[in-house]
Amino acid sequence: MAGSQSNWRPPRSCDVYWCEFKHCKSLFNRFHEYYTYGRAPDCQQWKEDYYTCKEWEKNHSTQAKESLQESERKRVAEQRKFTPVWELRQTPPADWHMPLNQGKPQDS
Amino acid sequence: MAQNRAEEDEFINKAPLQESRETEEERKRKEEEFGYGLYPERSGSGSRFKQGSIGESLFTFRHKCHIMLQVAMDTSPYAKLLLGAMKSSGCTVHKDRHFSCEDCDGTVSGGFDAATSQIVLCQNNIHQQAHMNRVVTHELIHAFDHCRARVDWFNSFRHLACSEIRAANLSGDCSFVNEISRFNFGLKEHHQACVRGRALRSILAVRKVSREEAELVVDEVFDSCFHDHAPFGRIPHNKKDAKFAYRDYENRDRYYANL
Repeated sequence: MAGSQSNWRPPRSCDVYWCEFKHCKSLFNRFHEYYTYGRAPDCQQWKEDYYTCKEWEKNHSTQAKESLQESERKRVAEQRKFTPVWELRQTPPADWHMPLNQGKPQDS
Repeated sequence: MAQNRAEEDEFINKAPLQESRETEEERKRKEEEFGYGLYPERSGSGSRFKQGSIGESLFTFRHKCHIMLQVAMDTSPYAKLLLGAMKSSGCTVHKDRHFSCEDCDGTVSGGFDAATSQIVLCQNNIHQQAHMNRVVTHELIHAFDHCRARVDWFNSFRHLACSEIRAANLSGDCSFVNEISRFNFGLKEHHQACVRGRALRSILAVRKVSREEAELVVDEVFDSCFHDHAPFGRIPHNKKDAKFAYRDYENRDRYYANL
């Protein structure tokens, strides 16, 4: 992506990082993390990402950019940490848009 | 209203409809084996009232169902995200084509009919907007799975269980408040126990299989399917979570372009 370096900007806007941090620390979220996973949430990364984002806004440093990219790639990898049970499609099902009276035994 | 509270959120999946050439006997068997008996309007008998008739407006909740459905599609961040994600996957949802308000048997609230690509909403069992929002979200998750993956609803228990686990997990079915209202009190990791339980019940409702067998299947796919949060990117525990997820979804182009 060397060509688009001048067009790069953080994957999320900086206030979104702060929003996510506050949300993560909230009583509601801490309760639900326990309710779901039986543990406390780890919110530190959101805070760090916010400061990194602000730093990038100030001086467009490569270090800030790479730090943010690494953090977000980790998040994406976390979301993909499972073996799918089914095969993903390349195209949607052929009959999704088919009118109802085709292939149905009786009129709906 | 409180009468069927324990079971009012029975969400079940439906196997694809079979060809009309089958005999009456075969049809009856399939009604029993794939849960079609719970949806009498789609398994041959049709609606008791002609569409648009006075009888229909006096004796069914069809009109109310359609209004609540529209409100859900317009205002629920869960539904809006799913509708957007389905559109991106090539399965644009049209209210008139892909939703059907019908009278259902028992205490089921809805279902997804893979054969006709329709979401069934049980107009006689959904009377509150919050409930409608949840049913729509739950069934849209099934529709989303149908759209983006080769789900074998008819033959694969694993696929069926996986979609049910995801729907129970991501639709708010197992929220703390909903569980309390069912008198299921639990705290640490109770969400997971609830998801397991509801997926199990959904399978048992539509398939002739023993409880032990169903439990085995749920256990087999649970880890994978519980961690599949598509298209939300997180488990939305409330509207605020869902709004954050929707914001992320709307921002996805920028997000992936700058990774």
